[in-house]
Amino acid sequence: MEIIERFLNAIQGIFTDSGLMTLGWQNYVMIGIACVLFYLAIKKEFEPLLLLPIAFGMLLVNLYPAITAAPDTTLMSAAECIKAKGTTDGYATTIINGVQYYNVPHYGGLFYYLYQGVKLGIYPPLIFLGVGAMTDFGPLIANPKSFILGAAAQIGIFITFIGAIFLGFTDAQAGAIGIIGGADGPTAIYVTTKLAPELLGSIAIAAYSYMALVPIIQPPIMRLLTTKKERAVVMEQLRPVSKLEKIIFPVVIVVVISILLPDAAPLVGMLMFGNLLKESGVCDRLSKTAQNELMNIITIFLGTTVGATATGANFLSLSTLKIIALGLIAFMMGSACGVLFGKVMYKATGGKVNPLIGSAGVSAVPMAARVSQRVGQEENPGNFLLMHAMGPNVAGVIGSAVAAGVLLNVLR
Amino acid sequence: MDMMSKLTISASMLLTGFVIVFSVLVFLIFIIWLMGKIVTGAQNSITDRKKQKVKESLKKPEVKAEVEKPRTALKPVKSDTGVSDEVIAVISAAVYSMYGSKEKVRIKSINKSSSRSAWANAGVLKNTRPF
Repeated sequence: MEIIERFLNAIQGIFTDSGLMTLGWQNYVMIGIACVLFYLAIKKEFEPLLLLPIAFGMLLVNLYPAITAAPDTTLMSAAECIKAKGTTDGYATTIINGVQYYNVPHYGGLFYYLYQGVKLGIYPPLIFLGVGAMTDFGPLIANPKSFILGAAAQIGIFITFIGAIFLGFTDAQAGAIGIIGGADGPTAIYVTTKLAPELLGSIAIAAYSYMALVPIIQPPIMRLLTTKKERAVVMEQLRPVSKLEKIIFPVVIVVVISILLPDAAPLVGMLMFGNLLKESGVCDRLSKTAQNELMNIITIFLGTTVGATATGANFLSLSTLKIIALGLIAFMMGSACGVLFGKVMYKATGGKVNPLIGSAGVSAVPMAARVSQRVGQEENPGNFLLMHAMGPNVAGVIGSAVAAGVLLNVLR
Repeated sequence: MDMMSKLTISASMLLTGFVIVFSVLVFLIFIIWLMGKIVTGAQNSITDRKKQKVKESLKKPEVKAEVEKPRTALKPVKSDTGVSDEVIAVISAAVYSMYGSKEKVRIKSINKSSSRSAWANAGVLKNTRPF
């Protein structure tokens, strides 16, 4: 009889703790959204390296919310401690009103610990280290005027800030939403963790989704703002850049930006450190590690833990819809401003600059540059804009880090 | 937050962001342009000095290298489009390595191609096609 009673109690306990009893409807909706993201990442290949870990983190946290639980301590009397743990040895004690209690710790969930890398701003600069080790700044050094286009594309960030303020967000939240327009995932995550951590899930998902949709979002804007003649401009070949210039460049950039905008130093510093590892030619092992193993490990940690911030209660709100709409506006404004400044450069240089390279000023490396190349070739199949567009594209990475520094400095 | 303070925050952020981002990046344009000028100038002067040294060493009469004269005097390869001597040497070496010493091959001229061939275009397209 006792055996059956124990068996039934065990079954009841397991059922009570199961997801069937603990999960709400929001969790099931989020599981559905995670499945949609799986489809987009696997079938459509939309930024799969990040969207897949994000979707899996989202799935896991909505199935088992305790995976992000913070550690805590329970105060137990000596008798309770012995009953629960079998001993009082090794536990710290606290005396309250003359009574001694034992501090029995409860460890946090797996994602709580992994999330510390996001919360403390460790992962985004490490991702930038890998990005720097993979980036060739040669086109930007050969044509430094590309910095103008990299700056122009950041205007979308500040215009979206205004929209967010008028939609009822606080100034810090508006800054975090605006940075989606920089089209730079690590920068968006870095700024959001500092300014509005409560919006991290929505902002990260919006940022990466729009980055994946660059080939769909940008071309209509580019065609709308340029004439056929402008799109067909063939640009002159870039001058060759010496190895010495490529070595000096990261050092100069990190010195200038760290002095002028210290808040941007962690991102720009790691970006340029990665680039120096590559260009120096003497740290091949470190450069390869930064580009591959380290980058991949951090991507897994960053993706899953950012996805895990998208719990049903957090994500399913009107704010998320507003963020998704504002993110799209930010992205479109950034692309449009880049193209418009490209037109200014076209006029200023007497038709030597193809305005299509301006849209590559939103970071999204190298996708945005490839879009410039593709749209340019639609007008003139013999036109190769890729290397010319890489200049504004990598300038956009630096530009979005500078914009992030401005937002952090003003709003924090 | 009332309408006035929203307007104030928005306008000040737009102005601050616009001015600082552009100022920093324009400053970087100047720095990178300056760096390019200095480095290119320095490297050019080093190259010129090296060329000068090579010329001077060639002029010295005391160096007598015993070089077997070719059976027939070789005419210099014509290049009307300013192809450098180094490039001519590389192309000649490539041709020699392909045909070997047994074949009688003479390079008459080396000219830059005015435009890519259809095959070259196809290759470049394949390597740069984005999607």
